[in-house]
Amino acid sequence: MAQLAPTEIAALAGILGELDYYQLLHLTADAKPSDIKRAYHATSRTFHPDVNRHQDPEIRRAIDEIAKRIAEAYSILRNPRRRKAYDQQIQTGSGVRMQLAEAEAAGSRKQTEAQGRTPQGRQYFNMASANLRQSDFANAVRNLQTAITFEPDNAFFKEQLAIARKKLDPNRR
Amino acid sequence: MTFMPQRGKDRMPEIAIGIDLGTSNSCVAIRDGDATKVLANAYGERTTASVVFFQEGGSISVGNAARAGLVHDPARTIASAKRLIGRFFGSEEVKKAQSICSYKIAEGDNHGVVIEVGDEQFTLPEISAMVLREMKTVAEAQIGQPVSKAVITVPAYFNDNQRQATKDAGRIAGLEVLRILNEPTAAALSYGFGRGLRQRVAVWDLGGGTFDISVLEIGDDVFEVLATCGDTFLGGDDFDDRVIDLLADEFLSKHNIRLRHDPFALEKLKVAAEGAKKALSTEDEVEIRIPDVIAGPDGQPLSIERSLTIDEYSKLVHDLIQRTFGVCDAALSQAGVVARDLDGVILVGGPTRLPLIREAVGEYFQQEPRSDVDPDEVVAMGAAIHAASLVNPMRDDAFLLDVTPLSLRIGVAGGLAESVIERNTPVPIEQTRRFTTFKDYQESVDIRVYQGESRNVQENELLGQFIFSGFQKARRGDVSIDITFEINADGIVDVKAKDLSTGKQASTRITLSAGLSEGDIENIIESGRTERVVSSDTEKKPGEQLETRAGNLAQPDEMLGDLSASDEDLVLEGGILDEAVLDAGALGEEALDDGTLGEGTLDEEALDDGTLAQGSLDAATEIVSDLPPQPAVVVEPEIEPIEADPALRPIELDDLITDEIEIPPALMDDDLLPESDDLLELEGLEDVKLAPAAIEPPPGGKITAIDEDLTTTAPTIVEGEVEDLADDFFERPGTDLSANDDDETKA
Repeated sequence: MAQLAPTEIAALAGILGELDYYQLLHLTADAKPSDIKRAYHATSRTFHPDVNRHQDPEIRRAIDEIAKRIAEAYSILRNPRRRKAYDQQIQTGSGVRMQLAEAEAAGSRKQTEAQGRTPQGRQYFNMASANLRQSDFANAVRNLQTAITFEPDNAFFKEQLAIARKKLDPNRR
Repeated sequence: MTFMPQRGKDRMPEIAIGIDLGTSNSCVAIRDGDATKVLANAYGERTTASVVFFQEGGSISVGNAARAGLVHDPARTIASAKRLIGRFFGSEEVKKAQSICSYKIAEGDNHGVVIEVGDEQFTLPEISAMVLREMKTVAEAQIGQPVSKAVITVPAYFNDNQRQATKDAGRIAGLEVLRILNEPTAAALSYGFGRGLRQRVAVWDLGGGTFDISVLEIGDDVFEVLATCGDTFLGGDDFDDRVIDLLADEFLSKHNIRLRHDPFALEKLKVAAEGAKKALSTEDEVEIRIPDVIAGPDGQPLSIERSLTIDEYSKLVHDLIQRTFGVCDAALSQAGVVARDLDGVILVGGPTRLPLIREAVGEYFQQEPRSDVDPDEVVAMGAAIHAASLVNPMRDDAFLLDVTPLSLRIGVAGGLAESVIERNTPVPIEQTRRFTTFKDYQESVDIRVYQGESRNVQENELLGQFIFSGFQKARRGDVSIDITFEINADGIVDVKAKDLSTGKQASTRITLSAGLSEGDIENIIESGRTERVVSSDTEKKPGEQLETRAGNLAQPDEMLGDLSASDEDLVLEGGILDEAVLDAGALGEEALDDGTLGEGTLDEEALDDGTLAQGSLDAATEIVSDLPPQPAVVVEPEIEPIEADPALRPIELDDLITDEIEIPPALMDDDLLPESDDLLELEGLEDVKLAPAAIEPPPGGKITAIDEDLTTTAPTIVEGEVEDLADDFFERPGTDLSANDDDETKA
């Protein structure tokens, strides 16, 4: 990749918050692992601090921001489990960045969250399930809300809550 | 050589050197055009002992000349300082060093380490700065120009504290440290640079005090580190220690005298053990003779005479070598490769000259290690290649993509260390995690940053901490604080905290409380207290013969050959340690007292290996002595402007250690909880908004039972289970902390 002009760098740094990792690395969503590695190398060649020592300090700060985001993108996309979690996130439009710890947690969470990962979460979720079976949607919503306070990041519980709410109030968006 | 024009104008080539600052020996190199060469000192020695000898009277000698001090005046001779740099006084490694070092290791400010010599104290960065300054001077003498920029290498497994302290040492030595570079990465660069390789290689690096293994992928001049692992408690010194133990134990049963308790005897044993290791690199058997190791009860000198075979030695160190393979397993698995995927294995470090190590490593990796790499020089050469590319970028530059060796963590409620950036993540990188308060109307949070692989805070290395306060007081869970962690290309950590509701920010260079502050560094540079070097290997004493210098009895051509030049004292033909050598006490003394041992001239033939002849040497030395004083290079850490915050204060380590010992970690007032974004996003839950893991201290605030419970149930971390454990712990408060949470649960 050719060296960018300072204005191009500043422009890229300016829209960094809007680019997803694929856009940042010039990749398509179906990129193969070897493509991801190549893209990481190529973009790093342009933005790694080592190759930009001679830039003006202001441009260097912008470059550093880009370089750090590139490493983040690579760290997510090179790991299939993290990449899957990330793909789901961007599909649902919930942000173009994903912190590594989140991506890791998302991977291991999937397996357990349908059952609930805490005794309390499980307890209230089981109660809510019983409520749902009896079409007691008001109590189902309350129990799911309580279950979610114990497992605030449990996406499965939240899905169930959305369903229960919809049943309770079909006019809800 | 053509330089890439930068911003429209051609730049003059700048000079930048690469320095391998080793535990036992250091080496300096420079890339000049297409050639990269090691710069030898005035004696033709290509490595310099990382030894500083504080002579009575205040002058200091550094380098190979200072080695004489090891047996001559061990209490004033500092070796293996790298084992102590960036450490807390209370750490295991410091305790270990205290038991084997003859110099006095004392507690400095803020639980740091200082070395006491007479009535003076020196910090570790100051000691290392003396060695670095020596390397700088060696380089300047060779190239005839001042040098102010360098890449300095560190073990890949060095943590932030150790990297920062090394960088400080460079500054004190008058160097602008362009980069802190990992030793295995430097070695791989030197091995693969300009060869158009497409390979996966492992670098097996056993230094004097540390072991590193890195797995790299080389392709199109990109050097990508896939994984690095290490052990900072394992090095060539440990091999020597086994021999010392053997000799000391045998001596004890024979004479009932503990040699380890006598600093002079201990140093003689060390020299013998190191010599034996070197000799066994080429011979199957070595004769160890230490005359007059100590005086017997009747005042008669007692001696040690013993032969040591390679088989015996192999048994002594077998488990040490095996230990490295456990680390290799981890590195290969993290890199996602198996041994047979590797196209090459590069050995780095003096001990790898031992055939038994080469064989064991070859067996482990199922292939012969490369033999075309000089294990003592390859790191400095890699550093030089990188230094040149940083100051004079060229088209053919290789390009390094390195990783952080250790997971970066933040301390959270429950005495746990939450991972923020896991090990082997590429650098530079930045991560932001959102945290919330732990108690209602909490006024401040105590942000503690760790490096290590355990979920238990106590098993990680504390990098630093700061108090963040002044945010809006609210119920627990209602405050959101974003903490941003950055690891730069040097592997050095920065942390910033931001309160989302007020936008208030604080940032800090994460500094070991025991480390040097900006002011300390400036004062040291100003005082010139590290610059009293009178005896350095860059100035050959008039008329001094190489063979006789400071107890040096090696043949010059041997010194320039394969064997590490700095340990010439003991390397003699036939692998036999001559008793005369170990009588070095007297000899060294003489050499040091008048500095003019022997007659005759420097053996120029012996130095034909690219080093200076007598005439040019003098010229170079003159240039050096005419140099203007080096400007103090002040590198301001690049941190975000800090908003004035009177409440933000650096915490003394005192407070911290007291805290950790006496107050159950789960109950610290200022604890943080990892916050889930979801909690804030939930609709209709305002009435039940409580932090799920919140543990309410009972009235009086003392719950020793919980503390014990926590201690005993501290999760043992198994690879791959870390996050699961984390989830369990935070989201099932009732399990481990039942007494307190039952109430909440029922509520």
